[in-house]
Parts: sequence; C-alpha cells; structure tokens
Amino acid sequence: MELPVLNENPASKGGCSAGSCGSTDDQMNHLSDEIRAKVQNHPCYSEDAHHYFARMHVAVAPACNIQCHYCNRKYDCANESRPGVVSELLTPDQAVKKTMAVAANIPQMTVLGIAGPGDPLANPERTFETFRRLSQDAPDIKLCVSTNGLALPDSVEELSKHNIDHVTITINCVDPEIGAKIYPWIFWENRRIKGKKGAKILIEQQQKGLEMLVAKGILVKVNSVMIPGVNDKHLAEVSKIVKAKGAFLHNVMPLIAEAEHGTFYGVMGQRGPNAAELQDLQDECSGDMNMMRHCRQCRADAVGLLGEDRGDEFTMDKIETMEIDYQAAMEKRKVIHQAIEAEMNSKREVKAEKAEQFAQQEKMTTRPVLMAVATSGQGVINVHFGHAKEFLIYEASPDGVRFISHRKADQYCGGDTTCGDGESVLQRTIRALEGCEAVLCSKVGFEPWEMLEQAGIMPNGEHAMEPIEEAVMAVYKEVARSGKLDEVDQAERARAVA
Amino acid sequence: MALKIIESCVNCFACEPLCPSKAIYEAKPHFLIDPKKCTECEGDYSVPQCASICPIEGAILDAFGAALNPPGSLTGIPPEKMAEAMAELQSH
Repeated sequence: MELPVLNENPASKGGCSAGSCGSTDDQMNHLSDEIRAKVQNHPCYSEDAHHYFARMHVAVAPACNIQCHYCNRKYDCANESRPGVVSELLTPDQAVKKTMAVAANIPQMTVLGIAGPGDPLANPERTFETFRRLSQDAPDIKLCVSTNGLALPDSVEELSKHNIDHVTITINCVDPEIGAKIYPWIFWENRRIKGKKGAKILIEQQQKGLEMLVAKGILVKVNSVMIPGVNDKHLAEVSKIVKAKGAFLHNVMPLIAEAEHGTFYGVMGQRGPNAAELQDLQDECSGDMNMMRHCRQCRADAVGLLGEDRGDEFTMDKIETMEIDYQAAMEKRKVIHQAIEAEMNSKREVKAEKAEQFAQQEKMTTRPVLMAVATSGQGVINVHFGHAKEFLIYEASPDGVRFISHRKADQYCGGDTTCGDGESVLQRTIRALEGCEAVLCSKVGFEPWEMLEQAGIMPNGEHAMEPIEEAVMAVYKEVARSGKLDEVDQAERARAVA
Repeated sequence: MALKIIESCVNCFACEPLCPSKAIYEAKPHFLIDPKKCTECEGDYSVPQCASICPIEGAILDAFGAALNPPGSLTGIPPEKMAEAMAELQSH
C-alpha cells in the first residue's frame, strides 16, 4: 500500500500552515479519508487530537525479550514518569475491567494501548487476550500496541485480526555497530545473544515487521530515542529509511537517563539531549518525514490526556467498587466524541482562514521567538503559571506559529526534595523554560513574575482562554512592533550560545 | 541438579513459559523453581532457558549457589560503578 508523503517541506509553507498550527492540519489534509479517520481522534498520532482526546495504557506485559541501555527492569517508582515504569501489573481480566471503568468515567478516552512494562509481543497470550476481549466488549475503543520489533514478524497475522489500527515500533538504529551500543543482548531462538550479532537480528526483525505491517495496511509510527554521541547523527538516516518503507510518523524522543534510575546510561553518565539539540534533529528529519513532537514518553500504565496521569483514580481496589453500565457509557461517549470532533473541525476551518489571511499580509522580517504556553487541553491558554505541570513550546516567526515540543515543569520526578537537588520547584520550572522569551498562561503570581523577568522570559496573562496559536501570534506581533526582534544577527548569536 | 530463583526476581514472567520441564511457577513474593522438576534444561537445550532470558543479574543460582548471570554480565554496568552510583544516591 502506498502511503502519502507528509510534511515534505514544512519550511516553505506560509502562515499557520508551517508547523503545528500546520503540522497536524497539514498532516491531516494530505491523508486519505481512511487514514484521516483513523488518526483524527488518536492523541498519540495527531497533535491536534491530543488537546482533546485521552489515552490509557494497561500494564499486562511484563516480560521482555531484549535489554535496552535506557531501561532498568527492576525499577518501579510512583513518582516517576517514563516508559517501562508501572505501579501495578494487571491480568487481562483486570485490564479489561480497568479499561471499561476509565472509558465510562473519562469519555474523552479513545485509545487503549499496551506498551509494557516489558514488550507486549513478548507476552503474546496476555496481550492478545486483552485485545480479543476488548474488541468484543468495548468496540468503540481503538487498540494499539508498541513493540521493540523482535517478535513483530511472528505477530503481524494475529495483530491484523484484532482491529488494531496502529502499531508503534521503537527503532533506534539500522546499523548493528550502533545497535551494540544500545542493546546489550536479545533473547533469540532459545539463546541470549549479545553485542553486534544480537543487534543485527533485532534490526532485521524490526525492518521486516515494518514492511509486513505496511503491506497489511496497518499504520506504523516509529519511535526513536535520541542518544547524544551514540545515534544522534544516525537518526536522520533511520528517518529516511522508515519513511521509504511506509511508516507514516516518526517520533524522535530524548533519552531519559539519571543515575537513580539504575540504567546503564544513567549510571555511566550518558547525557540526554538538550531541548535545542532535540529540536534541531527533529527539524533535520522533518524534511524526509512527518515528525511527531507532542509525545510525553508516558508510563506503561498512564491514564488521561497526554501530559496528565489519572492512574491513581483507577487502581484495582477502586475499580472493584465501581458499577459500570458500558452500554450506557458507550452512547454517552459517542455524543461527546461527535461534539469534540465538530469543535475540532470548526477550529480547523477558522485556523485555515486565519492562515490564509496571514499569508496575504506583508511578510515580517523579524527573527523567530520561542514561547511557552500553559494549557490543560482544548487548544486554549487555560492554566495558571504555578499550576502548570508542563508547558507547550511554540515557535513564532514571520512564517507563522509552529508547535515545537513540550517541557515538563517538574523534570520526570514529582517526589519530595530528597529526591532531587534541592532546587525550588519555581527555579526548576524557570530553568525548564530556557530559550523561551515569553510564557503565556491564564495568570501569573507576583513572585514568579519577577523571577521570570529576571530570567529574560516575559510573563503574559493577557490571553487567557484564547486559542494558543492566535495568542502566540498576537504576542509575537506586539513584540515585533516594539522593535525588539529586528536584529537578526543578535538572534543568531543568541542561538549559537544556546 | 536444579536451578533456583531468589528474592531479586522482579516477577516479569519471562522465564515461566520457556521452561521445558514446567518447573517454574508463579508464587509470592516471587517466582520459584520446583527442584524436583528442574533438569537445568539438559537434553532439551544447550543452555538453561530461564537464565538465558532473565534480565536480573544474580536472580537465578545454580545447584552450587553461584549466579548464572553475575553482576555486570547483563547490563554491562561494572559492579564498582553501580556501587558508586548507589552510594552517591544514598548520601543525598
């Protein structure tokens, strides 16, 4: 099956269509109706949808058939948010109950994924029993799965039976030399195989699995972990190859590595990329491939909108006491989903109109600016600075507004001060906004206002409840009019320093 | 001759379906091997299956009490480096 080429050349487009205020709409406009229908309410596949729809993961798959240097199979911390971490392992029976309880209580929940904490396809019985039962009992929920790819070719047939529209494969390399620095071993044909030999088999299986899925018409997203000095220079090639084979979206994620996680990279002092390095690589790959930038690298038991985790409300002991009438819930969900889709469509039309108007205006010559936005969804600025758990980062430029990434206000850990380096939450948050020149939120308190100004970040509470892209553009134009953005040289110097 | 799973097991289920003798069973607080059934895979595989997929160093012992996957052998983290990192964390 021939898949459309997306976002081929984003930089050349004018107005709001260059980027997320484009990337999603743009991505959607180029898709066939069939694919568009498959992704438009999937928060992990559509940047637009992630403002409205929620996802959940059920942790039914503990076993793994490979070891990655960014993973520690021993670790489970309630305060941590990263893939591979869970609080409670579920049986397929419990997973079905939990999914139906969440779907009834969070009607925006559209997607159920199995992502671990091991590899879902290394636990085929538990994974497929969960899918089988859910496609019967909760037919309005989309099912998806993510895998390291080793067992993928053997599972494609079974996957295609369960109405699974989407599969994510984590592909960190196509070169076994590099693979040997990421994967210390794999379990293959009844043996543990180490080093380059193991990595070569894994890579072959991933590529074969990708080809087989595309041939079946199943949408494939490729995840890659960016590991500076290991595969950062290699991922542009990976992007080219997976796109050529028919993957429809590439998600380059930053390595998460801290000594306290007990992972190889954490203990050995391997650093993750900074925000600018990640953005540069994503921009480099975007020439060849539609890039995903809104991934939150969520836990294997996350529940809720991307960026939030409501897992605590749905622990097994709480679920046991819930009475769920799924038939009634399904009818309610349908009404709510239709309303959300209508809202998304009308906003998309307004955006397209504004983009057209923007394109006809005289083009500004000012430099681009990064701005942070506090939002809890619906595509509007609606969170108080102090309450924001994360910020969405947008780039405003004469070409329009584009979504760049999200940054956590509380880096990976919500534990007490003994868990971190004693820096205050406010200081950490401001540090997380490095490189941004403005922060848009519904309100800002006096203390953070002063600290933000000192850090060179302009606080702005004047656009509460307004659509994000419009507000960002309004602030950009205001700053541009003040003449602060005229010197392009100065901006380039600042970028070089950052 | 039998292998043994000890308390560092993280209950990941990976070994259980691989055992050709069905000697491994789920138990609290961790999986166990029935020593009467375990053959160390002799006659079935050239290497013990449980120890070949187990991700946790030191979790599976041989009949003499020696770890089949000694520290550093699976993660590649030198044991002294791991000790250093853990000591550093505890001092916080």
